[in-house]
Amino acid sequence: MGSYLLRRAAGFVFVLFGLAVVIFVIARIVPGDPARIALGPLATHEQVLQLRTEMGLDQPAIIQFATYISGVVRGEFGKSLLTNRQVSRDLAEALPATLELVLLTLILMTCVAMPLGMLAARRHNSAIDNISRLVSLLGVVTPGFVVAILLQLLAAETGRFLPITGRLSPDMSFSADITHLLVVDALLRGRLDVAGDAVLHLILPALALSTAGIGQVMRITRSAMLDIARREHVDTLRSFGVPGHVIALKYMLRLASVAPLTILGLEFASLIGNAFVVELVFSWPGIASYGVRAILSKDFNAVMGVVLVSGLFFVVANLLIDMLVGVLDPRLRRRA
Amino acid sequence: MTALLEIDNLSVGFTRDGETTDVVRDLSMRVEQGARVAVIGESGSGKTVTMKTILGTLPPNGRVLGGAIRFDGQDLLTLAPRDRDRLKGTDISIIHQDPLAAFNPVFRIGTQMDDVLRYADARLGQPSSAADRGDRITTVLRQVQLQDPARVRHSYPFELSGGMRQRVLIGMALLHRPKLLIADEPGTALDVTTQDEILRLLDDLVAAQNLTLVLVTHNLAVVRQNADYVYVMQHGRLMEHGLVRQVFDAPQSTYTRQLIAAIPPLYGAGVTAQSGRGTAKLIELAAAAKHFAAPKRWFAKPPPSVMAVRDVSLVINRGDCFGIAGESGSGKTTVARMIMGLLAATAGKVEIGGRDIASLRRDPAFRRRIQMVYQNPASSLNPKRTVAQMLAVPLAFAGDTAHPRRVAELLAQVELPPEFARRYPHELSGGQKQRVAIARALAVRPEILVLDEPTSALDVSVQKTIVDLLLSLREQLDLTYVFISHDLSLMRNFCNRIAVMWRGMLAEQGQTDDVFDRPVHPYTRALIAAVPVLTEAEAARKPQITLAERRAVLASTVE
Amino acid sequence: MITNRQRALRRLRHNPIAVIGGLMVISVILAAIFAPFVAPFPSHAGAVVDFRHRHAPPDALHWMGTDNVGRDILSRVIFGYRVSLTLVAGVLGVAMPFGVILGMAAGYFRGRTEFIIMRLTDIMLAMPPLVMALAITAILTPDLGNAMIAITALWWTWHCRLIYRVTSAIVTEDFIEAARLSGASHTHILLREILPNCMAAISVKTTLDAGFVILFGATLSFLGLGVQPPTPDLGTMVSTGAQFLPDQWWEAVMPGLGVLYAILGFNLLGDGLRDMLDVEIG
Repeated sequence: MGSYLLRRAAGFVFVLFGLAVVIFVIARIVPGDPARIALGPLATHEQVLQLRTEMGLDQPAIIQFATYISGVVRGEFGKSLLTNRQVSRDLAEALPATLELVLLTLILMTCVAMPLGMLAARRHNSAIDNISRLVSLLGVVTPGFVVAILLQLLAAETGRFLPITGRLSPDMSFSADITHLLVVDALLRGRLDVAGDAVLHLILPALALSTAGIGQVMRITRSAMLDIARREHVDTLRSFGVPGHVIALKYMLRLASVAPLTILGLEFASLIGNAFVVELVFSWPGIASYGVRAILSKDFNAVMGVVLVSGLFFVVANLLIDMLVGVLDPRLRRRA
Repeated sequence: MTALLEIDNLSVGFTRDGETTDVVRDLSMRVEQGARVAVIGESGSGKTVTMKTILGTLPPNGRVLGGAIRFDGQDLLTLAPRDRDRLKGTDISIIHQDPLAAFNPVFRIGTQMDDVLRYADARLGQPSSAADRGDRITTVLRQVQLQDPARVRHSYPFELSGGMRQRVLIGMALLHRPKLLIADEPGTALDVTTQDEILRLLDDLVAAQNLTLVLVTHNLAVVRQNADYVYVMQHGRLMEHGLVRQVFDAPQSTYTRQLIAAIPPLYGAGVTAQSGRGTAKLIELAAAAKHFAAPKRWFAKPPPSVMAVRDVSLVINRGDCFGIAGESGSGKTTVARMIMGLLAATAGKVEIGGRDIASLRRDPAFRRRIQMVYQNPASSLNPKRTVAQMLAVPLAFAGDTAHPRRVAELLAQVELPPEFARRYPHELSGGQKQRVAIARALAVRPEILVLDEPTSALDVSVQKTIVDLLLSLREQLDLTYVFISHDLSLMRNFCNRIAVMWRGMLAEQGQTDDVFDRPVHPYTRALIAAVPVLTEAEAARKPQITLAERRAVLASTVE
Repeated sequence: MITNRQRALRRLRHNPIAVIGGLMVISVILAAIFAPFVAPFPSHAGAVVDFRHRHAPPDALHWMGTDNVGRDILSRVIFGYRVSLTLVAGVLGVAMPFGVILGMAAGYFRGRTEFIIMRLTDIMLAMPPLVMALAITAILTPDLGNAMIAITALWWTWHCRLIYRVTSAIVTEDFIEAARLSGASHTHILLREILPNCMAAISVKTTLDAGFVILFGATLSFLGLGVQPPTPDLGTMVSTGAQFLPDQWWEAVMPGLGVLYAILGFNLLGDGLRDMLDVEIG
């Protein structure tokens, strides 16, 4: 297991480094002068020159790359043109909001979708199966922004019981300074009113964000369970009279969870993408909102920071999932 | 004697896409208390479905269409599910077929056995403690002669050898002494020596615990050794039944007669001895060795490198049918691939027609001299190409431009009608596919064919037709064969010379008759002794070797 | 003897869902091609303003209602399909062949080729695609062509990985070695032996992906980084319409359903194909 983890970690560093290189290349092959693009056509030549020096653009490419990489390693992406602060500071502020949203989404995806997928497989071809298949299909094909808008409409219809903007109602004041996750910190500090309010704010964005993943995970869980049900080892246990629920919940589940977990890792990429839409629609003050603003205002340092952090998110999530899958399936540990 | 199990006119059907087809029809069977009964049939005979019906583990699309099964005075098919479940793993046990697929791959052996025992105990109303169950599992693992029960219990299925897994499966079936023990093709997937060990172990346990055994198999020779009474099935119907000796000596149905005739004899008048055609040297291996370096990986201890073949010296003459025999892992396939020039020897030399293969490997003229026929035609034919398209490639290589005529000619050589040229592999039967594969190898007019277990993926009856075809092609085209196989009975009748490989080394080589009549190497003796045979007369002529002697040979290590 | 085609057709009849999907796809394609003849108000595809009919709810004349400047939403959805399908053709037309070639090369030649191609793919796959596409289109100017470039630059990696997996499985089959032994060239093996065995996976993946490219493009323009007004684009229409929620709900919901319809069609068809051709595309 030890060398397995080491190898995974080495691969992880490699991918992250590659990601940093690709982003650097993309940012540098852009036609036109980044400083000029950032300042707009009205800026004077002197202003552009000054920004170029500030951004280090007057240095040779190799020096620029070295500065950039050493910055990335220290978690420094330079100054944001938009907020005029260090990008890393902006990101640190925006991160907990996104993290909270993504964590709840992942919980929904595993705790709702996997049991439903198993249920559908157990009741193969029944009404439950057909309904859940329809639901998962709709989940997969409905664009995140359509879901978000339909949820907003729904919230309007239900008399705004569920809030549709922000993380907290404006009349609440609370600073999350322990884990920076609002719900967790509010609970730790015993502020049930804040926690409740934060949960209400989370519901719609998390639902919007999880629809696609829930559909996908349900689908995969169902087909994995159906596939495993046909295997001979299930027959072995059945022929020795081991009860059906033990076979399903102990023996089949462990094998069947490998496929949806792997999918969950890959889905993470589209989940991060969808977060851009969802955060925008629900005015959620996370990394994605920050990213959209940075992109629209051509704030390069901020864009690079957002892309790298998103990549980091994805790679870490997949590393964790690989480790989990390695625990679940001893054969993978041995082979990989 | 009372019947423990009685099946009356049983019919079982499977439903697919709204259509029901019977897989078992009007089957009647009777198993006496304490009897050893075999059910024999080829694939699709319905033997396994019958066993699943007895156990009550038919898949959801399977249904009993009629008949009755009485077990120990109860009608199994009308029994309440609860009562039927109570029998599973206690009164009726099964030894599963494929020892790897039969275990859940991600749970330890001990866990799986423990759950089987625990719920069986609970059903019987005798809940047991974990410690007690652990003791009973250890006992039963000792009974099936596993040396280190603690390690076995703690292992994952993939960490055990096939033979060990098969023993565990037997042990699993014996956790509660069953009134009826069903063994579904025990040892079939294993090497012949291991299979023999398993069958003996099973027989000993049946005798010692006075069990009633139903043995399901496709192998007639196994029936002779392990059963007293036999039922022969084909296409879901009972063809014949009777005492084993009666059925073997005077088979009543044509199907049984065919089955018996299709099995090549190991000794006696039935053996067709093959002869060589002179002494002109064609292939020579001199102290050839192949050593596979383990792939290097970051942050991992390099696994030990594998010595696949060491110090192999042999000479194959023009016109020989040279057999290389061995069990899995013996290195026989590596030798074949070295002769093909697909693998380079790491030491020693491999020569074809007096020239070193290392210098020939990229020479197209050499490529045309030697071709290969693979074991599994399902994998050696491209599913997306027609027979004509497949033959066109080697024909172009051989510079044959008159394709259509040559395609028809090649098909005629392998006894297929010319219109088969337009067919895709999925439109061919297993035997026909193998004929196409042979035609492809012949297209470049080679002198040498390397045959890598060319019949072992086929049913017994088809095997014989392919062997006959190969023998007649050898005559017509003056071919030299290198025949790789684990099937000693087949080689006895196919090869004029034979080499026996063991752990990457040559144990013994010589004229086929000599090797079989006077085997010298202890491993050869053990190997031949383990081959199941059809008649007492053949059994008597096999090398006589005690179990202890054989164990000693198989356990001995190479320095 | 039943041919492959007959068997596939028989399976198709047992698979009404795939047929429905196919019909949906055909309707989208036909509507896009014949948009000027099919759309009730073809001129509304452009920068037309009709303030008398603005914010009209769906009725017999305007089946999907009208938008904030009085244009018929149905007509704009139909013209929007043109943009979506252009995007699909552009992206898949480049990404698919590119990914297939690299995937086959990596799976067949192994060794260094495999290492370089697959590690590059790993890196590309570690970038959340929408984020990257956003960044690329933002750095360039947002329009249909640049959206196409950005999506293509990311999309080939999935095809590469799929075809790599399929090829790696095929090269272990004996018929590849048999072909090599009978003198076949690398080109022959790649194009005649391997590629035909990839076609099932390619066709299923292309069909499913067509839907996801539409989704992707619509999401980009929803965020304001795709096709620019007044070209009718489904994502842009939803985001403009969203300003008039909840009272003029149809202005966002109807184009949203338009996107959903197209994606659903491609998805149902792709799933049906997958069952019919019996391929695993992971």
